[in-house]
Amino acid sequence: MRSSTATAATAGGLALALMLAACAPGTGTEESPSEQPQEISTDVAALGDITLTVWDQEVRGGQDEQMTQLNAAFEELYPNVTIDRVSSSFDDLETTLRGALTGDDAPDVVQANNTRGTMGAFVEAGLLLDLDDYADAYGWRDRYSESVLAVSSYGDGGATFGEGALYGLPQTGEIVGIFYSRAALAAAGIDEEALRSGTWSDFTAALATAQGSGATAIQLGNLDGWPAGHVFGPIQGQHVPADEIAALGMGNAGASWTTPENEAAAAELQQWVEAGYFNDGPNGTDYDAAWQSFSEGSAVFLIGGSWLAADLEAAMAEDVGFMAPPPAEAGGPVATTGGTGLPFAITAQSPNAAAAAAYIDFITSDDAMQMLADTGNMPVNRTAELAPAEGVNAEIFEAFGTVSESGSLLPYLDWATPTMGDTLGAGLQDLIGGQATPTEFLEGLEADYSAFTQGG
Amino acid sequence: MIVSRAERAANYAVLVLFAAFALAPIVVALGTALTPSTTSPGGLEVFRQAWTEGEFSRYMLTSATVAAVVVTVAVLASILAGYAFGTMRVRGSGWLFPLFLLGLMVPAEAIVVPLFYDLRTLGLTNTLWAVALPQIAQSIAFGTYWMRAYFRAAPRPVMEAAVLDGAGSWRTLWSILVPIGRPAVVTLVLLVFMWTWNEFLIPLVMSPNGTFRTAPLALALFKGQHVQATGLLAAAAVLVALPVVVVYLFLQRHFIRGMVEGAVRE
Amino acid sequence: MRRGQRRWLPYAYLGPALLLFGGFLLYPLARSVQYSLYSWDGLGASTFVGLDNYVALVQEEQLRDAFGHALVLIGFFAVLPLAIGLLLAAVLNRGRVRGLGLFRTVVFLPQVIAMVVVAVAWRQIYAPEGTLNTVLRAVGLEQLTRSWLGDYTWTLPAVGMVGTWVQTGLVTVLLLAGMARLPREQYEAARLDGAGAVREFFSLTLPSIRAEIAVALTLTIVAALKTFDLVYVTTGGGPGTSTTVPAYEVFQRAFREGAVGSATAIAVTLTVLIFAINLVVNRYVDRVEP
Repeated sequence: MRSSTATAATAGGLALALMLAACAPGTGTEESPSEQPQEISTDVAALGDITLTVWDQEVRGGQDEQMTQLNAAFEELYPNVTIDRVSSSFDDLETTLRGALTGDDAPDVVQANNTRGTMGAFVEAGLLLDLDDYADAYGWRDRYSESVLAVSSYGDGGATFGEGALYGLPQTGEIVGIFYSRAALAAAGIDEEALRSGTWSDFTAALATAQGSGATAIQLGNLDGWPAGHVFGPIQGQHVPADEIAALGMGNAGASWTTPENEAAAAELQQWVEAGYFNDGPNGTDYDAAWQSFSEGSAVFLIGGSWLAADLEAAMAEDVGFMAPPPAEAGGPVATTGGTGLPFAITAQSPNAAAAAAYIDFITSDDAMQMLADTGNMPVNRTAELAPAEGVNAEIFEAFGTVSESGSLLPYLDWATPTMGDTLGAGLQDLIGGQATPTEFLEGLEADYSAFTQGG
Repeated sequence: MIVSRAERAANYAVLVLFAAFALAPIVVALGTALTPSTTSPGGLEVFRQAWTEGEFSRYMLTSATVAAVVVTVAVLASILAGYAFGTMRVRGSGWLFPLFLLGLMVPAEAIVVPLFYDLRTLGLTNTLWAVALPQIAQSIAFGTYWMRAYFRAAPRPVMEAAVLDGAGSWRTLWSILVPIGRPAVVTLVLLVFMWTWNEFLIPLVMSPNGTFRTAPLALALFKGQHVQATGLLAAAAVLVALPVVVVYLFLQRHFIRGMVEGAVRE
Repeated sequence: MRRGQRRWLPYAYLGPALLLFGGFLLYPLARSVQYSLYSWDGLGASTFVGLDNYVALVQEEQLRDAFGHALVLIGFFAVLPLAIGLLLAAVLNRGRVRGLGLFRTVVFLPQVIAMVVVAVAWRQIYAPEGTLNTVLRAVGLEQLTRSWLGDYTWTLPAVGMVGTWVQTGLVTVLLLAGMARLPREQYEAARLDGAGAVREFFSLTLPSIRAEIAVALTLTIVAALKTFDLVYVTTGGGPGTSTTVPAYEVFQRAFREGAVGSATAIAVTLTVLIFAINLVVNRYVDRVEP
């Protein structure tokens, strides 16, 4: 039998070689996804009965609530449209989107991460609809600030990021900053007011104080790799000029990871680990488990995104506070990671582009911004006027206002290249786990970044 | 057999120790599910909540549909092919049958990438067929091998008597051989059911938009959303494992025989 | 069978199986080989690159590591269960203890539970505040507690232990079946000769179950090499890339990073590796058991 296995393999191989037409991978999928550019129409009621499939990742409490309410309101306004909503976690959406978008029955509206790996790759492959005409029809360029639209824009069919045609609209603003527990601050003997009005070195001193008092200074759940990016971002903002971070984060040529400034940032993060500021084994702790235990009083600080506010407030009520990473000098400019929530985009194949555009218009309208604020989210537009009077969201809105007006909102670093999410995630785990020196960590990032900027 | 009392006691100790090792994680999962916490109601209520929140009624139905299709098609095709290989002179069986054996070893990872892209071109992803057909092919590899072994061992006199009675090959198969071979067929049905129910990679890849999301996949996604609610997550895990475990507890001889003999023969 | 059997008849019976098996297993396998010669992002057009993807396989550290991790997993999926299984089966076979049926049912149970379920359960056990650390603290082994899924030294063994848990039952049951075939009288004779348990095991039991050992090794080694669900659910290849395995790289590259050619090159290599191991193990059995 054994020798006949070889015969079988040979015979089978030959037969199959014949069957494999001259068909190279990817040749069957090149017909342009939508045959005719569809007419730009804003009259949804006239479109007849439509089912609009929408994929989002708004699964956490307040996010889910606003989405549910807005969808219901849209269906009420246009009874001829039914929304088929598919929501999954951020990671799961990232996993499934690439496959789904290229299929025949792609969803109509998807929340596609701004990154080159996601939105950029889709634009390059002609899978997303250029929204410029709808932007004119609905007046989106007046509704949004230019900088917000820029991070959802790609030019030259995906080659440049940050300019060119518009491919999506975000609902929310995001800012990465420092959550803290007031009770834990008091227990560690840290004065909240002094901390809020202080400088970055006051903050790092507070970390040492917290650690010295026997508490866990910072809670971090980095099992997935990317969460530590939100800790590294603000640290990097202290050391590296904002325009360099922007180039690195958007994968545009002309910057470098292997600079003394970046080295200082990476070294500071590693020092935090060595000083014992983090909980035991951040690399083995789940992201959601981390903020959950922070809300139960396990640590003094949690460095993370404003999207956690609704859930943290629900669990901690007035105990939770938020501040932007403090400036290097008192009163100086503030820089931190942030920007917009994931933009909603329309697939190129969607036969319901007009309805999809109306939907995106609806969920980003001024009324929708109100709804977002009411459900504990930070709307990307009208942020200042919708700021709540008190609570953690008041502090978040204020921080976002300060940073976006007088400071710098830095891009998420994984936006840079298609593989940067994985490179950065694994690199940060290595850095935190003591497996890589700051230099090695940065060399890994530089290799990814320069391969992309030179190759593209 | 004479074994000292001390040795006997030691034997039982080893037995109990390893049974405990095998059961511990299952007990822990059950315990986690049943214990109430801030994020989970505990008791039996937790299963109801996991069932509704994870929409498991929908995904279990998908799993059941996929399993039914795979089992039916794969077992039928395997019986027919095993019958041909086991009782007839097939020209070319010298390389044809080993080809099926080769298929036994091919991991899903090796076929799933082109399957996905080729079926996508044909517009077949996100259909029942995209999820079922690759699993049917994998099951046929084992099924043909398994049924051939049965047919080769089937009593010759019975088959010869059937031929004398004027029964054609078709009738001999269905009215004589399959009925006596019921245990072998049942074993095959159970194994294919288990493999299909437990499969993860193929449904993960072949139905990206979630139309044919099977229960194990739903569990993995449920984990993404409820990782902090350990009780709820453990309950969902128990629910997904339950159908196969229940069948196993009742028909364990078939499972063990199938996996042991299926592997040892030849 | 009837002598004048029609020639096409067997092929009519084989038809459905051949069609399905060929179309959805052999053909995609061949397509994998073809894909692996191209550079393709899964979205646009592809370029022929010859063996570049295979060269990268050897050059890229992360991929070499992935195969290295698979080797470590073989230790946990195959070698360790075999050692435990041999010990267990020998003890049980010699002792003729009661309750063997129940024991068999229990230790075999992990085999029938979906790997995703297993992974979810173990992930909770390994969590920082999970069962394992709680138990260690309770028995005063505080210093052994660690972040099991976030530790560069311990995560791969921790994932491997799950494999040991799953495979030990299968191996034990296989070996027990093999030992049960051995006639009682041989043991009686050996004992009359004054052979102790250890000599009895090495001179009598072990040689008679070579075939079962080979099968157990084949099944478990292949399972180790194919590991995907377990890594996907527990660690996602982390921390860093310390637990990534070939099957996980296939998925990541093909469906998340858009490196389809590289993904299929890994898949093909993995398949060849599995074939080779089967061949070696079977050769070995053929030689000792004429």
